[in-house]
Amino acid sequence: MPGDTLITSENDTDIELDFAGVEDFQENHKREKHNGKRRNGDRQENKRENQRRKRSSKSVQGIREESQSKTERRERSRRRKGKAEHETSGHEGNKRERDQTRAKSTKSKKNIKNEKTRKLEGKEDGEAQEKSEKGKLKLVCTKNEEKIESGDQLKEKEKALGVKKKKKRRKKVVETSSEPETSEDGDDEEEVNNDGEVRPELLSPEELEKLKEAVDEKKKLIQSLRGKPWPMKQKLVTLRESQLFVEKYEGALGKGKGRKLYAYKVMMTKKWMKFQRDFENFKTACIPWEMKIKEIESHFGSSVASYFIFLRWMYGINMILFSLTFGLVMVPEVLQFLNLNCTFILFIALYIYFILQVRLILLCTFFEQALMGRPYGSIPRKTVPRAEEAGAMDFAVLWDFGGYAQYSVLFYGYYNNQRAIGWFKFRMPLSYFLVGVGTVAYSYMVVIRTMARNANESGIGDDNSFNFSWKMFTSWDYLIGNPETADNKFASITTSFKEAILEEQESRKDDNIHLTRFLRVLANFLVLCCLAGSGYLIYFVVRRSQKFALDGLENHTWWERNEVNMVMSLLGMFCPMLFDVISTLENYHPRVALQWQLGRIFALFLGNLYTFIIALMDAINLKRKEEKVVKYNITMWEATLYNGTGSENSTAPPITIHPADVPRGPCWETMVGQEFVRLIISDTMTTYITLLIGDFLRAVLVRFLNHCWCWDLEAGFPSYSEFDVSGNVLGLIFNQGMIWMGAFYAPCLPALNLLRLHVSMYLQCWAVMCCNVPQERVFKASGSNNFYMAMLLVILFLSTLPAIYTIVTIPPSFDCGPFSGKNRMFDVIQETLESDFPAWFSKVFSYASNPGLVLPFILLMVLAIYYLQSTSKSYKEANVELKKKLQMQNEENKKKNKQAALKAQMDLEEAKKSASQTAEHQRNNNDSVQRQEDDEEIDNKNQRMYHGRNPSPSVGNREPHFPVRDPGPRNAHNGNHGNPRYLPGFHQQSEPRMCRVPSLERH
Amino acid sequence: MVSPAIALAFLPLLLTLIIRYRYYFVLFYRAVLVRIWKDCVTGLSREERAFQYVLTNSTPGDPDSILDAFDYWCSKVEFISNIGPKKGKILDRLLMEQSPLTVLELGAHCGYSTVRIARALPLGARLYSIEMDQGNAAIAEKIIRLAGFDDDTVELIVNPSDEVIPRLRSDYNLERLDFVFMDHWKKCYLPDLQLLEGYGLLGKGSMIVADNVLFPGAPKFLRYLRKCGLYEWKIHRATLEYSRGIRDGMAELIYQGIK
Repeated sequence: MPGDTLITSENDTDIELDFAGVEDFQENHKREKHNGKRRNGDRQENKRENQRRKRSSKSVQGIREESQSKTERRERSRRRKGKAEHETSGHEGNKRERDQTRAKSTKSKKNIKNEKTRKLEGKEDGEAQEKSEKGKLKLVCTKNEEKIESGDQLKEKEKALGVKKKKKRRKKVVETSSEPETSEDGDDEEEVNNDGEVRPELLSPEELEKLKEAVDEKKKLIQSLRGKPWPMKQKLVTLRESQLFVEKYEGALGKGKGRKLYAYKVMMTKKWMKFQRDFENFKTACIPWEMKIKEIESHFGSSVASYFIFLRWMYGINMILFSLTFGLVMVPEVLQFLNLNCTFILFIALYIYFILQVRLILLCTFFEQALMGRPYGSIPRKTVPRAEEAGAMDFAVLWDFGGYAQYSVLFYGYYNNQRAIGWFKFRMPLSYFLVGVGTVAYSYMVVIRTMARNANESGIGDDNSFNFSWKMFTSWDYLIGNPETADNKFASITTSFKEAILEEQESRKDDNIHLTRFLRVLANFLVLCCLAGSGYLIYFVVRRSQKFALDGLENHTWWERNEVNMVMSLLGMFCPMLFDVISTLENYHPRVALQWQLGRIFALFLGNLYTFIIALMDAINLKRKEEKVVKYNITMWEATLYNGTGSENSTAPPITIHPADVPRGPCWETMVGQEFVRLIISDTMTTYITLLIGDFLRAVLVRFLNHCWCWDLEAGFPSYSEFDVSGNVLGLIFNQGMIWMGAFYAPCLPALNLLRLHVSMYLQCWAVMCCNVPQERVFKASGSNNFYMAMLLVILFLSTLPAIYTIVTIPPSFDCGPFSGKNRMFDVIQETLESDFPAWFSKVFSYASNPGLVLPFILLMVLAIYYLQSTSKSYKEANVELKKKLQMQNEENKKKNKQAALKAQMDLEEAKKSASQTAEHQRNNNDSVQRQEDDEEIDNKNQRMYHGRNPSPSVGNREPHFPVRDPGPRNAHNGNHGNPRYLPGFHQQSEPRMCRVPSLERH
Repeated sequence: MVSPAIALAFLPLLLTLIIRYRYYFVLFYRAVLVRIWKDCVTGLSREERAFQYVLTNSTPGDPDSILDAFDYWCSKVEFISNIGPKKGKILDRLLMEQSPLTVLELGAHCGYSTVRIARALPLGARLYSIEMDQGNAAIAEKIIRLAGFDDDTVELIVNPSDEVIPRLRSDYNLERLDFVFMDHWKKCYLPDLQLLEGYGLLGKGSMIVADNVLFPGAPKFLRYLRKCGLYEWKIHRATLEYSRGIRDGMAELIYQGIK
């Protein structure tokens, strides 16, 4: 039947158009065009609905005037449409018209048929006629039904039984009367047909009310859909339909202006959402290295990614440390070259962007005349001594941070002890001291804050219940728009599933506990041996280096001079490997194993670092002894100098000595700074070289030698390396510790570290992606994040200890650094208080620092901390209790639901039993009429459902209810269904089982 | 001159390598060093020594005792890369399930796997065993006869596999091989498999078992399996024969033909 094919095709176009509409919306096309399309889609849907309705109605009634008024109506509709949307493009209109005409033609055909059958009906007996009519329409109907219900033969038959009686009753009603009604029906259809969209202006208040009700109903349905015991497919279909419905008719509720406003509002919200999404994307793009890390995460799991996130975090912290030292210490000191006032630096930096070069130069010359400064070479501490001048530019010297590098802004010794520099009286020594303290304080603050935040996150998170469900249903990231990223996400989800499964397996394993314990003790013993050995080796090397230092470093080779650094780096590199091998004895869960490994490496590094610091202390003491001698010598030298000149001519100006020739003390602070910088450099070099040799070279060899080797290199013996998370993290942490320790004596350290981290990020990202393979035992690292932080905190504390110790106990050198001439470094604060603040302030300060005030304050703080901790503990407990309660409630609900379901099932079974009995009975009786009954099922399902829902016989003799949008009063009697079947976009839910009920009653 | 302290710092690395790869070192010692040493001392080849031991320590006509003697010699005295008892059990199981009538074995070596397969064959089945090396073939012949299998059950062909496979159809009237066991040169796995395919000796359901696909390993073979789609295949993971720590696998292929 052409009608059928037409319907399906329309169906397709409808969906297509709808999609197009949605896409349009998202792509932000022109509003007019979009609206036109939407309206078009709506209209077609309406039409389809109409046709369905008509088809069902045709079987029982003829519309006589229809064929006559057809042309006229078409004209009218076209006119109206043209008025409504003359903006739509030409071909769209054409298409629509074509569709329309097609639909109309089929309709008229059917009408003719119907009329024929009606005539026949007049002559012949009702039943026979019905049969022939049904025969014609059977095809359409059965197909239709199959489409909706995926054809269940048995059910269909049963339904037919139910439908039949209804049909007969209806027939009578139709034949007796309802000519005016038919015409009304026709009108109604026409309206729907022409209207396309439901026009609020054309709707009566009751209809509007109904519409509103329907919309509300749909909304409710959407909300409560989740809890309904339907199959997923049905839920999805219903959801989509209801959403479409609501979207379509919600706008119709407002009138005129309000409606426009509504549409505008909807569009604005959508646009706003899109903007928000874009903004999120933009924000993600702004996070440095985010894509890289995500890519790594998807390939290597979260543990490897956590290292890179940590690295990034570290980079951020170093950035701030660097800007502090650079902005407040290095730049002011360096910029004295240009004779610019130091407090102007920020303004100048801004100025460079805004003013012309010429004006800047003018400004410079202005400041040059007005300000004084101490550039390089002006005073002894800023000059390379005469003895070192010859080799001060050699690469070897510079590489060791001697020569020009030593007498530069990079180290403590270069800074002048002038109290205030420039016009604006920038307090250089004070700034130096405060920056040193501030960097450490800031680091403490950041680390502790991050720890607290992490603890919060882990506290809120669901603890492993419904783990797989969470992963299953919530892991996809719907913001992904890039196919490559989607692939990555897919890989990452798969990995996370693997991790979860592995974890589950691990938690269920249990082995021989005694053997495991013994092995664990053994492993720890071995590790301790290893630690002791490495400690002794470093101690030995340090002692030897002191001997070398006493002999004079020039007499020894490069190897011997750098022995300490080399040995420390090598041990730091190889011992973790040994620990790793030993830890296979222990058979821990990978995450626990990682923590043990971290702890061991931590101990190793700490031992190494502290041995180094002890050695450094010895060196400082040596230098200070040397300093005493030099100090004495200098007084002698000055005395001879002035005596010599004074005897000749006392009135002559004092002879100027080139600063390079002035004898100097051994500046121990610079020495300490140098040592730290050297350590950092050698550490970085070792890391990179290991990376290149251990990972890259190995990967290259494995990859390319595999073709001509006698065993499989990739799967077997050397294979590719795995990324060593624990070692790398600890390397990073200790590196940071060294920075914190050394930054006071070498302001360049944060800058160096920044450089190192930056290079590391790229190099390691590349190395991981190109030469490492994912770990065999992938696991989650979420819990160990705070572990890293705790370690960082410990290291921070341990690294500030020696720094504070040196600052507090050792007097600064007499001729270098910002604190030269003072007894202790922190005297600078006292000095500032005395000279720069009013007298009362220093008085207040001295009172405040009185132990009588400080001790109670500390006590108060301790009390406050205790109080806060106890409250937080109680909160935690309350949380746990609440969680338990929730779970209990959930379980109870489940039980209840189960019981209800069981009961319903039993009822249903009973009904089924009785129904099957009656059905059998009926089959025996009505075997001859069976075919007719089959035929009768052509009728629309609405009717069936209708019937099913109102099984009471009193409703049975009602006039046939056609799914047409009819005015209120007529519909009032079936308002109790609450199912506005007259609206498109709503497919009836057939209830096959209930259909049998009427037949049951009939017998 | 590098100082001794720096050299000492490399000690952990050395230890790590030794511990991590201990099985490989043990294997190297047993399979290479001991073999060279014994060759020099006794003047016999390794296979001849194995044969002597088996001859004196097993019951003739009893395949089980011969296999046991082999296993003992290979695990305690010297090393010969037979299929070994663990993977041998897998092989036995596969043979029992399949109960093939024509079996081809590539690489008989000294007859261990031949005896193992022949023992598990159903009545009336025939095993063609190909060995390239003359000396090994002679020993394999003796072992097979010692185990009590005659010419009707086991036919030993002394020739390289790539020469024999093309002639199997013409010279030995073979239409279809039910079971193929590969344990010769790992590099020849792929070409021989392709030869078998090319000469149409594999039918739907033919099973091919390849030993040592992970260590020493046949990466090209595995890559081909993944790509070609002619087989339903899996790898039985196990350890290398007579050694605990080295992972190895045996690939089991079932020919599906072109779909």
